[in-house]
Amino acid sequence: MEKFKVLYIDDEINNLVGLKASFRLDYDILIAESADGGKEILEHNPDIRIILCDQRMPGKTGIEFFEEIASKHPNPIRMLITGYTDIESVINAINKGHVFRYISKPWESNEIKFAIEEGNKFYLTQSMLTQKNEQLQKAYEELDKFAYSVTHDMRGPIVSVLGAIELTKSAETLKDVQEIMDMMEKSVQRVEEFMRNMHYYYSLKRGELEIGEINFEELILELKDLFTPNANQSNVLFDIILDQKEFLRSDIVPIKIILNNLISNAIKYQRMDNDTKFVRLEISITKGNATFTVSDNGIGIDDAYLNDIFKMFFRATSENTGSGFGLYNVKDAVRKLNGDIQVKSKRGEGSEFKVTIPSK
Amino acid sequence: MSADKIHFVVIDDSKLDCFIAEKVIQNTGRCESVRSFMMAADALEFLGKQPFDDEHRIMILVDIQMPIMNGFEFIESFEAIVPEDRRRNYIINLLSSSINESDMIRAKAYQSVRTFLNKPLTKSSIEDFLVKI
Repeated sequence: MEKFKVLYIDDEINNLVGLKASFRLDYDILIAESADGGKEILEHNPDIRIILCDQRMPGKTGIEFFEEIASKHPNPIRMLITGYTDIESVINAINKGHVFRYISKPWESNEIKFAIEEGNKFYLTQSMLTQKNEQLQKAYEELDKFAYSVTHDMRGPIVSVLGAIELTKSAETLKDVQEIMDMMEKSVQRVEEFMRNMHYYYSLKRGELEIGEINFEELILELKDLFTPNANQSNVLFDIILDQKEFLRSDIVPIKIILNNLISNAIKYQRMDNDTKFVRLEISITKGNATFTVSDNGIGIDDAYLNDIFKMFFRATSENTGSGFGLYNVKDAVRKLNGDIQVKSKRGEGSEFKVTIPSK
Repeated sequence: MSADKIHFVVIDDSKLDCFIAEKVIQNTGRCESVRSFMMAADALEFLGKQPFDDEHRIMILVDIQMPIMNGFEFIESFEAIVPEDRRRNYIINLLSSSINESDMIRAKAYQSVRTFLNKPLTKSSIEDFLVKI
């Protein structure tokens, strides 16, 4: 186990040296001859876990020192070393919560060691609690956002379909019904897409990476199978170019999430009036990195929205049926693979997403 | 023109929901005209060109959750553009598919918002409301 940092403050140099000598193998002991010296060390060592401080020092008592640092350095566990004569003030300090425990003078090695070990356990529990609390807070916030979006993104399209079904009951011709059915289909597709993305989202959140050699030929075949019918239907020329100079070790699942989202976005957000619509994926593997470039000549993204597109549930356009989930998942997947994503885009001209993934 | 006929403006990013609203509105018998917009900014532009006339009543149905400019932002822009003494010709209703309480509370805070209607819009839900005005 790695040695953790213990700060010891005492105006008697012999005590400092003695303690340091006794525990140099067990802990990383930092020493100071005064409260001010101790403060200085604290500033530079925020990872100090335990502070031992003598109560009787010229200028400042140990308790005063602990009170002073409490707000700025709340994390280290504080222990007071003192003679019995100071017992009143010590009890006070312990009750106020400034001090974890006190050690009576003259101290014995065993006692100190036991106190440090106990303090360390307390420190670890506390920092774990803080960490868990932060995670929980974040999870709650996401859940809130999620619950709000679920009512819109999932309930919304279903409610629309219900309304449409109601309408078909009074529709007069088959053509009217067909028109309504086409729109219903889009609504249902939207729910379906939302749920698929939600599945991606949770598989990214929960899953551990499974690193293996990526078979790019297979990946390309799969992507072509998946997207060519869709692209043909929308009159989009879909092309994949591979330039593989070496092998890549990574996890295929996040890579698929990234590419599926980027390609389906590129196919989806095209300009209707464009006669030469294209979507191109270029993959190059060289110097320990894979670079995936997805480019299109579609509607592009306004400069004003470029910073927001990776946020959860953000949608920059009312054209088409976005879930506001896709690029968030892309960013999450890129982060999970320690990669990087860059976007260049111009409204009305097209977009280019460049993802770089390092080999593991 | 009969005074109880109303001009309707529907603002919703879902094409299907616009379609449903148009059909339902046309079936009420109170519809003088109906226009739908998938983007709130386009609707604002349209509204800016409408005549101010006590005979020309406009009912706006606007969805809350839309990208770029949502329903609340639309109301804010509307209130900024249309002076208070001219708002009596407008009846603004917010539409939502969410059953979100904070949205309803927020909706009440806008002076120009008349009511909050749940989706899907049905003939009966809009008729119930129309008899009151």
